[in-house]
Formats: sequence, C-alpha cells, structure tokens
Amino acid sequence: MNRGSCLCGDVTYTVVGDVMGASVCHCSQCRKQSGHVWSSGHAPEQLVKISGNVSWCEASTTAKRGFCARCGSFLFWKAHDEDTMSFSLGSLEKPTGVKLEKHIFTADKGDYYEINDGVPKK
Amino acid sequence: MVKGSCLCGSVAFSLTGKMRDIIACHCTQCRKQSGHFWAATSVAERDLNLESKKGLTWFRASDKINRGFCENCGSTLFYKPDAEARIVVSAGCLENGSGLNISRHAFIADKGDYYEIADDLPTHDQFTGIENE
Repeated sequence: MNRGSCLCGDVTYTVVGDVMGASVCHCSQCRKQSGHVWSSGHAPEQLVKISGNVSWCEASTTAKRGFCARCGSFLFWKAHDEDTMSFSLGSLEKPTGVKLEKHIFTADKGDYYEINDGVPKK
Repeated sequence: MVKGSCLCGSVAFSLTGKMRDIIACHCTQCRKQSGHFWAATSVAERDLNLESKKGLTWFRASDKINRGFCENCGSTLFYKPDAEARIVVSAGCLENGSGLNISRHAFIADKGDYYEIADDLPTHDQFTGIENE
C-alpha cells in the first residue's frame, strides 16, 4: 500500500494495490497548476481512500482537479467518464516502488526545458 | 516583460526587470506542493506586477517562508522568503518566450525515487546562494 499527503498534512490518502501508468504530463493545464509539470499514477477509484479538505476545480468539462484547500498542493485528477483516480507522485511517501513510464502531452511542453531522460514520449 | 497566470485566470501577473535563470527544486516541500518537482525563476519583489489577485492565497510553510497559490484552481504560483525583497515565481505559469532556461537542480538529496535527473546541469544537495540573485 502507498501513502500520500499534501504539504501541510491536512489531506492524506492511501492507495491499495499497484500504482499504474506513472507519467509526467506537459499539457498547459498541468503546467499551470503544478508550476512546472505534473507527475501522476492512477488506481481504481475505490482503492484510493482520501481524507481531508480537498478543493476541486473543473478546468474542462471532462475532468476535475483536486488540491488541498489549505496549502494548495496539487494532488488529484479525475476524469468524469473513467473509474480511476490519478494522484501526484510527488505527494507519495518514499519508497514509492514506482518508475516513470512515459511523458504525455509533450507537444504542449514549456520552452524552458528539454525532455531528455530516456523515458518514452507519448 | 513576461506574462503569467494561474490555471483559472483569477491570478494574473507580469514580470519586469531581471529574471533569474530557472532552478528546479527537488525538496520535499516543493515536490508535495507541485506534485512532481518545482521549477521557478526569481525577481525583485517590485518587479512582480499583480494584475489580478482575486484567488491569491498564502500558506505559511515555515517560520520564514510563505507559499502563494490560487484558492480557486490550486495553481502553485509563488514562494516568498520573509527576509528577502525578492519573490520566486513558477516557470510553468509563465507564457512561452521568456528566454529563460532551467540552469540547475537543487535539493537533489530529497528528490523522488520514481524519476532520474538525466541532464548535464549542475546539481546541488541544498541551495548554494545563487538562488538569491
């Protein structure tokens, strides 16, 4: 089981089972909200147990984005038509047992960095 | 001048004057708040022009530091040390064309275990003083 929390500790969560789809997202929404790029994994929604005060922002009609109301940590992403919950890899306690699998939305990446870590681009 | 904003637009700003090269920070605080690691420039406080600050909220992250985010969309925006007349600003919130680049990695001893730092940029276990420029 993996455990995660925000910066201030108000929001905590656990993930039972494997962390799937570890990725770094370079889309402009994730870049703005994270302040750089967002890393996440996902699991079936019922296996991600969240406690604490999460604020949700609907930046598009297809998904909602969750963050800690007190410290602003960008923690969760949930597509309305999927039964999985994504959570930030930066909020997981070490050891995570996770390895990045892919970079996504690389066409939208920022112009101040390069992607050259050998992780596949999708 | 470079413009920036949060995801929802309720915090919007421009930067003028000298902008420090971007530092990627891998400390635990930055990793938790951003969700991966944080990349940010730094400007004199007077060179941050807040055009909209409706959603701007400050979290007291230590007895020396405030971290600014948008309470409407959760965007990570600013880092403000009490003792310094400068403010640190998210690179991801800036429009393209700033001319800035990531120049180094800091606090790599605290980095996450699920990624590698694979570029040839200088790395530091903590900060070195260059962040104060």
